[in-house]
Amino acid sequence: MSETAPLFEARGLTKRFQGLVALSEVSFRLERGAIMGLIGPNGAGKSTLVSLIGGALAPDAGEIRFEGARIDHLPPFRRAHLGIGRTYQLTKPFPGLSVLDNVTLGALFGAGGGERDRAKAREQAREWLDFVGLAPQAAQHADHLGGPDRKRLEFAKVLAMRPKLLLLDEVMAGLTPAETDSAVALIRRIRDRGMTVLVIEHVVSAIRRLSDRLLVLNHGQLIAEGEPAAVLRDPRVVEAYLGRRRA
Amino acid sequence: MLFAQILVDGVLLGGLYGLMALGMALVWGVLNIVNLAHGAFIMLGGYVVYFLFVAGLDPFAALPIAMLALFALGYVIQRGLLNLIVRSALLNTLLFTFGLNVVLTYLAQLLFSADFRTINPSYAGANVTLAGVTVPLAWLAAFLVAVLLAGLLQLLLDRSRLGRAIRATAQNLDAARLYGVDPRQIYAVTFGIGAALAGTAGGLYGLVAQITPYIGATLTAKSFVIAIIGGLENPLLVILGGIVIGLAEALASLYLGPTYSDVISFGLLVLILVLRPARSLKLA
Amino acid sequence: MKWRWLALAPVLAVLAGVPWLGDAVLIQFGINALLIATLAQSWNILGGFTGYVSFGNSAFYGLGAYGTAIAMAQWHQPFWLGLALGAVLAVVVAAVLGGPILRLRGPYFAIVTLGISAALSALFANLDIAGKNIGLILPLTRDDAMFYELSLGLLAAATVAVAWIARSRFGIALIAIRENEDAAAAVGVDATRYKLAALILAAVFTALAGGIHAYWITFIDPAGSFDTTLDVRMVIMTMFGGPGTVFGPVIGAFVLSAIYEVLANGISTAAALFFGLVILLAVIFLPKGLIDLGGGFRALGWRYFLANIERHRL
Repeated sequence: MSETAPLFEARGLTKRFQGLVALSEVSFRLERGAIMGLIGPNGAGKSTLVSLIGGALAPDAGEIRFEGARIDHLPPFRRAHLGIGRTYQLTKPFPGLSVLDNVTLGALFGAGGGERDRAKAREQAREWLDFVGLAPQAAQHADHLGGPDRKRLEFAKVLAMRPKLLLLDEVMAGLTPAETDSAVALIRRIRDRGMTVLVIEHVVSAIRRLSDRLLVLNHGQLIAEGEPAAVLRDPRVVEAYLGRRRA
Repeated sequence: MLFAQILVDGVLLGGLYGLMALGMALVWGVLNIVNLAHGAFIMLGGYVVYFLFVAGLDPFAALPIAMLALFALGYVIQRGLLNLIVRSALLNTLLFTFGLNVVLTYLAQLLFSADFRTINPSYAGANVTLAGVTVPLAWLAAFLVAVLLAGLLQLLLDRSRLGRAIRATAQNLDAARLYGVDPRQIYAVTFGIGAALAGTAGGLYGLVAQITPYIGATLTAKSFVIAIIGGLENPLLVILGGIVIGLAEALASLYLGPTYSDVISFGLLVLILVLRPARSLKLA
Repeated sequence: MKWRWLALAPVLAVLAGVPWLGDAVLIQFGINALLIATLAQSWNILGGFTGYVSFGNSAFYGLGAYGTAIAMAQWHQPFWLGLALGAVLAVVVAAVLGGPILRLRGPYFAIVTLGISAALSALFANLDIAGKNIGLILPLTRDDAMFYELSLGLLAAATVAVAWIARSRFGIALIAIRENEDAAAAVGVDATRYKLAALILAAVFTALAGGIHAYWITFIDPAGSFDTTLDVRMVIMTMFGGPGTVFGPVIGAFVLSAIYEVLANGISTAAALFFGLVILLAVIFLPKGLIDLGGGFRALGWRYFLANIERHRL
């Protein structure tokens, strides 16, 4: 665990589905404490990349390093223990459990194997519910929550895992402008707590405000990386988003 | 020659097994319900044909009647009962159809007694010998009916408006509603078709084996195995799955002895399930 | 919380007193009910908490029965050693097969477990040491009070285990797997290990019940030991009482055993028919089991039943 190694590094990641290349030779690094944005049109391979990092899928080629050590063949739960937390584009709560129990699960397991004591985990869960503004709904069943609250729950659950790296898969899709603003503020506060964040979005406007740097995927390839303003002016990026008509 | 005979027997019987599984695969694929009462429908179809035969009707002429009767029964059961729990957790739907199986089985025992019944028309023993291999005509006819019905089901699903509605409902209930079809109606019709196919298979089964109220459970298990081997998409592949099981059982009883023939289909199933990656088995 | 456990003490005392208070028929009914309740409670550990529906726990029951029978009838060892042998056999089979079969989900898992029980039945029907198709005869011990107390002790142990699970980190991991296995893995639950632990625990209690039953009836054969109807009964009793709860399976097993006993004195076909109807009605009106009825009925009254239908109908 050398301190000089970046928190996260992908090298030459490639994934095929029945001959179709979903990701091709994707390489990038994440420095500690950064908010990195990952954008790209539909079908660019963003969700595949999240699944590769989280461990739900295994790469066909390439390596994934976390704090300098290879993790590409570890199962998802082990990556969670190392400190990788992810949210799902379609939120995946534990539907029959209360909101509080959902978050308690994050605290009971999560990074380092989690908190062993159920009462302490419950206490931590309350704090995280407070942090995301979901404390009043703590006793509700998770499947009774509305859309934005389900996303808050997803946040609280993954935060309770105390991850070092947080993968946020399209958490802002479908939110109103006001809800998007509060999500942006929330992610900034998360970073201020020392977590590194990879924000995956289809919609560009919010992510441009939020990210320190941006990655752009198109047809499974990384076509740009850098400062948000510069990346969004890149002609290849403009072309990817607006199609060939402008080229 | 013995080997060729075993092969022919296995294929012919396997076709009938395939027909048994067809209705289960259809209902599973569309309603996402594993119907543990499927074998009971097969059993009931067998009794319908048996009693019509006793009343003087040719078994093959009785098949369409059994089909209609079981369609009606299936339609009513889905509309009136299964519909109440169709969105329950998997375990509850399994339990419910199991309960249905118990009720149908013991109703049959009360009504028809536990006696063994066979449907044996004058031509039951007839057979032709080709190159030293004996082909029982009743088995051959059962096989042909199975293939014919699978082909018809395929046509129905591919070509007709009803078939498209069924496939839309299988994909996504909301999409089906947008299409303007009432999913409850489609579910009931699909379940009815599944029961009708089971009923037909039951009538044919009565020609090759004995019928009792208790045959349902084993036939459900067999149908389940075949539905997994053949998949839930393509009716003719289900028939092929039946043939695979028919052959495996025939070969097992030749080489290992008849006590193993039931174990072999389960063994095959366990192997397939464990060796195939778990994800590819998930239904869409 | 603690006083509720104390309230159980008199119940346990009355149950333990049955051999001194009741007649022979009641004691025999009691042994059967306690053993089937143990099977339901064991099934609950995997089926109720993780949602993995096994139709093959009779495999462990049969292994327990055969372990005991082989040790006693063939090797002339004491009963306790036989019980231990049966439990060890069950643990080994659960540990070896658990890995591959627990990767399967839903009906695939259910049917594979069914197949394993059938395969073991065929295997023991061909083993010389297990008496092949004929089976084995165990030494006779006429001491129903002993068998009764043993069964009661086993059920109590299984229930204490489940009560511990329900409050432990292990238990919440199992529940997370039931609610959403992928999400559970993503928060760091080692699903494979926890599922396997649940299966092994279920296998131990099930095998011990099989061993006690074998010694009690003094005769076992493949069909009666690897009995699929036993699988069905433990599933139904658990579901009827309340899966994933501490006392649901026990209540379900007692209530259904009693109903069945009363009906079976009349016509057995009518009893089976009634059993089927109870299942249908329970799934429609009581999908969370008998144990949910109290709270649900207090909150909603008769509307509780309609609400259950409304939630699951189309």
